[in-house]
Amino acid sequence: MKRKFQNSQSRLPDNTAVKQQQLPAYRLQLSAKEILSGFFATGVFCLGIGIILLLSAKSIKEIEINYTEKCANCAKLRENAANFDRECTCSIPFYLSEAMRGNVYMYYKLYGFYQNLYRYILSRSNSQLVGTDIKDVTNCSPFKNSPDGTPIAPCGAIANSIFNDTIVLSYNLNLSIHIKVPMLRSGITWWTDKYIKFQNPGSHNLSSAFAGTTKPLYWPKPAYELDEEDPGNNGFINDDFIVWMRTAAFPTFKKLYRRLHRIQHFTEGLPAGSYSFLFLDFPVSRFQGEKSVVLSTLTWSGGSSLFLGLAYVVTGAVTWLAFFSMMAIHLRLKERKVFFLQ
Amino acid sequence: MANSCSSGLTPSLGTSICHGGRPTNRKKSESFYCCWFYWEMGSSVLLIVLVFFHSQNNSIKTSKYNAFNFLPVNLFEQFQRLANAYFLFLLFLQLIPQIASLAWYTTVMPLMVVLSITAVKDAIDDLVIESSLSYRMVTEKWMNIEVGDVIKLENNQAVTADILLLSSSEPYSLTYIETAELDGETNLKVKQAISVTSEMEDNLKLLSAFDGEVRCECPNNKLDRFTGILTYRGKNYILDHDRLILRGCVIRNTDWCYGLVIFTGPDTKLMQNSGKSTFKRTHIDHLMNVLVLWIFLFLGSMCFILAIGHCIWENKKGYYFQDFLPWKEYVSSSVVSATLIFWSYFIILNTMVPISLYVSVEIIRLGNSFYINWDRKMFYEPKNTPAQARTTTLNEELGQVTYVFSDKTGTLTQNIMIFNKCSINGIFYGGVYDKNGQRVEISEKTEKVDFSYNKLADPKFSFYDKTLVEAVKRGDHRVHLFFLSLSLCHTVIPEEKVEGELVYQAQSPDEGALVTAARNFGFVFRSRTSETIMVVEMGETKIYQLLAILDFNNVRKRMSVIVRTPEDRVMLFCKGADTILCQLLHPSCRSLKEVTMDHLDDFAVDGLRTLMVAYRELDNAFFHNWSLKHSEACLSLEDRESEISLVYEEIEKDLMLLGATAIEDKLQDGVPETIITLNKAKIKVWVLTGDKQETAVNIAYACNIFHDEMDGIFIVEGKDNETVQQELRSARDKMKPGCLLESDPINSYLTTKPKIPFRIPEEVPNGTYGLIINGHSLAHALEGNLQLDLLRTACMCKGVICCRMTPLQKAQVVELVKRYKKVVTLAIGDGANDVSMIKAAHIGVGISGQEGMQAMLNSDFAFSQFHHLQRLLFVHGRWSYNRMCKFLSYFFYKNFAFTLVHFWYAFYSGFSAQTVYDTWFITFYNLVYTSLPVLGLSLFDQDVNETWSLRFPELYEPGQHNLYFNKKEFVKCLLHGIYSSLVLFFIPMGAIYNSVRGDGKEISDYQSFSMIVQTSLLCVVTTQIALETTYWTMISHIFTWGSLGFYFCILFFLYSDGLCLMFPNVFQFLGVARNTLNLPQMWLSIALSMILCMLPVVGYQFLKPLFWPVSVDKIIDRIHHCMRHPLPPPIRTKLKHPSSRRSAYAFSHKQGFGALITSGKTLKTKLPKQKFI
Repeated sequence: MKRKFQNSQSRLPDNTAVKQQQLPAYRLQLSAKEILSGFFATGVFCLGIGIILLLSAKSIKEIEINYTEKCANCAKLRENAANFDRECTCSIPFYLSEAMRGNVYMYYKLYGFYQNLYRYILSRSNSQLVGTDIKDVTNCSPFKNSPDGTPIAPCGAIANSIFNDTIVLSYNLNLSIHIKVPMLRSGITWWTDKYIKFQNPGSHNLSSAFAGTTKPLYWPKPAYELDEEDPGNNGFINDDFIVWMRTAAFPTFKKLYRRLHRIQHFTEGLPAGSYSFLFLDFPVSRFQGEKSVVLSTLTWSGGSSLFLGLAYVVTGAVTWLAFFSMMAIHLRLKERKVFFLQ
Repeated sequence: MANSCSSGLTPSLGTSICHGGRPTNRKKSESFYCCWFYWEMGSSVLLIVLVFFHSQNNSIKTSKYNAFNFLPVNLFEQFQRLANAYFLFLLFLQLIPQIASLAWYTTVMPLMVVLSITAVKDAIDDLVIESSLSYRMVTEKWMNIEVGDVIKLENNQAVTADILLLSSSEPYSLTYIETAELDGETNLKVKQAISVTSEMEDNLKLLSAFDGEVRCECPNNKLDRFTGILTYRGKNYILDHDRLILRGCVIRNTDWCYGLVIFTGPDTKLMQNSGKSTFKRTHIDHLMNVLVLWIFLFLGSMCFILAIGHCIWENKKGYYFQDFLPWKEYVSSSVVSATLIFWSYFIILNTMVPISLYVSVEIIRLGNSFYINWDRKMFYEPKNTPAQARTTTLNEELGQVTYVFSDKTGTLTQNIMIFNKCSINGIFYGGVYDKNGQRVEISEKTEKVDFSYNKLADPKFSFYDKTLVEAVKRGDHRVHLFFLSLSLCHTVIPEEKVEGELVYQAQSPDEGALVTAARNFGFVFRSRTSETIMVVEMGETKIYQLLAILDFNNVRKRMSVIVRTPEDRVMLFCKGADTILCQLLHPSCRSLKEVTMDHLDDFAVDGLRTLMVAYRELDNAFFHNWSLKHSEACLSLEDRESEISLVYEEIEKDLMLLGATAIEDKLQDGVPETIITLNKAKIKVWVLTGDKQETAVNIAYACNIFHDEMDGIFIVEGKDNETVQQELRSARDKMKPGCLLESDPINSYLTTKPKIPFRIPEEVPNGTYGLIINGHSLAHALEGNLQLDLLRTACMCKGVICCRMTPLQKAQVVELVKRYKKVVTLAIGDGANDVSMIKAAHIGVGISGQEGMQAMLNSDFAFSQFHHLQRLLFVHGRWSYNRMCKFLSYFFYKNFAFTLVHFWYAFYSGFSAQTVYDTWFITFYNLVYTSLPVLGLSLFDQDVNETWSLRFPELYEPGQHNLYFNKKEFVKCLLHGIYSSLVLFFIPMGAIYNSVRGDGKEISDYQSFSMIVQTSLLCVVTTQIALETTYWTMISHIFTWGSLGFYFCILFFLYSDGLCLMFPNVFQFLGVARNTLNLPQMWLSIALSMILCMLPVVGYQFLKPLFWPVSVDKIIDRIHHCMRHPLPPPIRTKLKHPSSRRSAYAFSHKQGFGALITSGKTLKTKLPKQKFI
């Protein structure tokens, strides 16, 4: 067919920009001037951002108390299964020399706890947590079922290893008056987690919704009894549970535990003075890492990490250094180039 | 006779019997019975032979798929590719639950896409092959021919099998053939049938009853040799190559002939010469394979390190972490766990070997091939042929060519001889002058001379100098004599089928051009018999008696005829090479000789082929005497040749000079300019031709392969090993004194006997030299021990001419350069004799639009003009190469940057084979997020535009040395990738480590971290490609920024509530996009990552040309300079050939037809009816 028309038809290719590779285009050719000024501007930008970040990080008040050592006794006591119901409190006093103004947040911080292991991260059942299928434990190995075969809810290694120390902060007005600092346990999770990703199985009675499942191995109480004070905070939508289930990226991490309820003495934040932490209810586990508790105020850029600020300052400095040396090289070698062109 | 023939049999080849055409050594067991029929099919008689068993027929199958076998065959083929097999293996690994570290779909989806794209491409390629074949299917009759058939061939038919001539329409069963397809020569050759078969003539009854048995040698590639025995009616007849018409010939000047098919299809001598058809792969392909292997090793060692890390970690930490995450039941110790982790990391890090690499490379090549097909500047209007990229896998190699091997006839030249100028009696004719006496270049507008006064003039002939016609009309005696001698002194055979339409069959095209010129000026050579020549002189018919033809040979370099004019004068007309003829002139011509010599010099300057023309009036008695001597000499038994030439010399003296002719062997348009451009780009052009030395050298000068400023030209024409070696070595010694000594580094290197695939380094001569080597010398030079001598000598020369080559030798030369130079070679040719070198070279280019299709069909690229080569190389090749290199560098880089992040994360995740990214990101990264920008780059990028790359051919050089992508560049990519991955991992880590959001909530969770890292990664690689793109078209913008935008769209889709709630276990990143993208930390860390990744790159690119300038940088600087201050257009300098070189005489290399003419054999029994006598 094609050959038939060959004689009459010219086979001259179409004169389109794409076919002739003549698309209108902007040629990107960075001149020395542009590159050098780019370096300079980047240096300015980095230094500026770095200084701002450092300054704002400076304004943060933070206190961290490591209680691994100090409460070692209690931990030891608890290791023996026979003593699991024995009261053991461990109190750590500390002194705030300056008031922590504004919102104060209380974190627990774990050192060397690997929430990012491949099998650990996988070991959860999202379909269970979203409330659609309470008995779906397929992905939860090695904590799928209890020894008698009942599916665990919430199943999996993450849920099983939940952080369940109880930490209470009290403000010592004077030697005898200890005021328990009011803390909020709500508003510590992502909104999407609390209201979309985690949902209780649909039943008016939570305990009946969990029927046919059993509590995780290490949990003292079933999921629907996590919060005795607020019945709306039970089951999968328990804030502490949700916070824990958002696994950390690194083996050292801190998670939001409580935030200051700014009432009474604490409307301005935490006033200076002496405080003490009281630790209750230790879980039964041999954990090789360390635990601490952190009190912190925040700024727009988040926590007290100086890293970004420092990195920006260093980058800015190095960029300027590079700028000056490149400028010097360019000026010296330019003469040679001009000579060549003539 | 018998002895000489059997000595032609090469013992190793054995003998095959062709009994009715069946080679019995192939099918011994089969019973032997054949019976021949024929049919008359309308006007064209085609004799068809029915043979009662199947044998090899004349067709060649190339298409490999049909609708049914496509899927299984294609899949099977695809999985034979190492890369695809590797991904299949990976897929199986991923299905093993113990080591699966990535969801199965991360590999399956890309693999499916890759396989289907490749399958589509394969299908298209196959279709292209099929459709191009259909062109040949037109010659279906030929396809069905089998060995043993008797077939009829008619005038101007091309022969496509090797055929034993049985009989022909011409007397003595002569058949004229043209062998341009075979050896590039355009002169006619004669074949003659043996007498016993020629008796059959066209008697179909006899022919069909012919039951001879032919025993002949096995199929071989020797074009000029054939030995066989015909047994017919109980007698044996010796057959030699004069009886054989080879495939590739064209029947000329012969109404019909019958032949017996001896070899068909791949057995024919031509096909045996065309070399093996191998699947061509580019250097980059090989490099890519090596690099993929490196990556494998790198990958293996990384996995090993990580496995060891895991072992240690499990011992120190993991063991105690078992309360929270118990080991699996089959993991008894940390070593077992580490072994499994090795494979898990193997799966995770597999993206180091990019799955889409191969398919992307193929897409890029396909796209760049289309550009070649679409190029209007490579379209040839007169033939209506666009350029054609027939192979879509070799594009970037076009940007790396170092050696160009070119055919001569039809490639450099148009194969048209034109009578261009002449000098008659000291007057120069042929130049065109304007009113002021200034010489004018001849163009299409120049007014042609009107030949209407001559009814027999050839309308195609054109001449521009009116003074010559005026001289003819004026009746200038000398001019008349000059043209008379041109119309008498030749061996051309005329054909006048229609009254007044003369067709000349000349043994050499030059001769044809001269006779045609004489014809147009009014001296029409009309017909000849063995004793007479009829010439129409200015409308008046005259019969000259032909007394003798003193034929041409290579020593004499002249030919003469002796005629008796109607006025009863005996005249000798002679034409020949000026060097010879000027010694034979009568002393009275001295002054005329000097003037004529000046004119000859002028002709030589223009690169024309010249002949001197002279005459002598003979005394009747003298001639009678001589004639007796001549016949005596002809009868002498010993040393007849030299006796005859002695006799000739007696009469060819005291000649009166008439003038000189100049014939232009017309070059194709723009050939000299193209070759200058190629030379500027340090591309060496070698001419490999089957034609004779003189013509080849003449053309070499004309198209600037040789020029007179060269320091020397060496000619190698030794006939044995020692001489050839001596010639080669002395040439080399002259080019580089001391290079023959033992102390020469290359010599001492060669004496160490390196392993065979070694590379001979470039040697620098002390000037520019040329080398001419003859076919028979080449046969010796190509033998083992001389190969290196040949190569080293030839490669030091700027231009190399190899003449009188067989097709196979052409391929051998190409192979030689390929083997020891390890550079990219390109062969360009138009004829069937070039097929072997086209196949042998890395890139084969066919000149299409000529009569023969063989070269084109076997080529990788085809176009119709030689000068398109510079566009193919400098524009398309260069861009393809640059694009491919940019693509590869970037592609490897982006995968390293992407994958190595996992490696760093392993140190913080207990070496547990945890990925940094979301599995969907891993699935889409290569396939969706980063594929379009890099495709856009490698399809649209132009570092400099085409004008500059043609103006500065030096820009081509980096490709030849493969500077833009090699192992060093790859290591740079790797280091760059490692650096980027470090930045990409540690900056986000530092930013979120121990940090929280502005509202106190979590930021350092795994999902936010992945999200930050993957977004930074994508921003960084997109900025990187934006920096690499120098040519920002609209499409580049859409691809680059569009991909980045698309990433965010997909992100919101994949992390959306609906999707995650629908498949909560597959899509786990619910809400991460919304909660993370509004964080200042995230954007600050992305910005920092980008700054840290880009600044060193920009700085390096800025400093590189300052510290390590290469020549290309200077040229690019100059181009930028010129863009600001436009250059004046280049001054076209006319190519000059100074007088030191006199161009070659225009004759065939062979003995002429003289003997045939005088014997009367050539002349038809039925002469055209004549008006007179």
